[in-house]
Amino acid sequence: MDNKGQIRRWPLFLMSGLLGLMILLYLGLWGDPSAIPPVIINTPAMEFSGFEMYTGRSISLSQMKGKVVFLNFWASWCRECKLEHDSLLDLKKRYADRPDFIFLGVNYQDKENLAKAYLEEHGNNYEHIQDLHGRISIDYGVYGIPETFLIDRHGMIRHKHIGPIVGETYANLIETWIEPLLKESE
Amino acid sequence: MKRFVVIAIFLPFLLAALVLTEDELQLRIKEVAKTLRCAVCQSESVWDSNAELALQMREIIRERVIQGESPAEIRAYFQSRYGDFILLQPQKRGMNWLLWGGPFLLLFSGGAILFRYLKQAAAEPVLEQSGDPILLDPKSRERIDQAMKSWNG
Repeated sequence: MDNKGQIRRWPLFLMSGLLGLMILLYLGLWGDPSAIPPVIINTPAMEFSGFEMYTGRSISLSQMKGKVVFLNFWASWCRECKLEHDSLLDLKKRYADRPDFIFLGVNYQDKENLAKAYLEEHGNNYEHIQDLHGRISIDYGVYGIPETFLIDRHGMIRHKHIGPIVGETYANLIETWIEPLLKESE
Repeated sequence: MKRFVVIAIFLPFLLAALVLTEDELQLRIKEVAKTLRCAVCQSESVWDSNAELALQMREIIRERVIQGESPAEIRAYFQSRYGDFILLQPQKRGMNWLLWGGPFLLLFSGGAILFRYLKQAAAEPVLEQSGDPILLDPKSRERIDQAMKSWNG
């Protein structure tokens, strides 16, 4: 009886295994790429340079050595960027007295006039550069925007956030990432 | 002097051999771009996609090909930025073996189950043929006979 039971049970196990495998393959096909853990965390941030959108000042990552960098990729056509815009302005205001905390917006696949109109409409209190040929975004493995990176004082990418920074995410970002990174010594 | 003349004659041929023609360049770009996933599209290669990001990725591939990087080196660059997801053909290692072997495992297991089922069905005792085109068990035959009798009166 036992033997028979075992023999009869194996197709059931096999079928469950196969069903699991099919579900896994299906999920793999239609899964959200943003859910994939980024590979660039704890790797050196790639050097970039550009001109500030309003002043034309030349900006590069190497100028920010020894500082914590908050790098936010955004565009005027991005609806989710609008959601987080007020949070970003608040964040900048909150750390206005910290010269060791650099805030930089990277305008992604956008037109300068539209980007400026967006900033004029929604407010602006930090610097922005344009990623005209997608070099910066590809170097940082950007899938879609908004995406935010935190670079430590040693130039290492320590955190990547995909999606808008609002509500709990905003509080969590300050508590878990910004404050500890600012406390780290050079 | 003779040496310079020889160099002057052969230099253009040498340069022509070293510099890629546009067609060759396109072929090399295609070779790499076909194997990379457009990061903002679902299941479309960088070569096939017209998304802005795909165009920019093709431009980077072009520059790197001109700089003399091999397809593997160019793929490694994108992989270092986006991870394994950017490769249309997953690398044969770790959990990726599930992707490579999974469909075959499904096919063979399905085949084995089907084979076993058919074998069992074929091994079941066949009812004795009574010469009728339709096989009937004795009980059914009896019921039909009784019904026919009652019908005929």
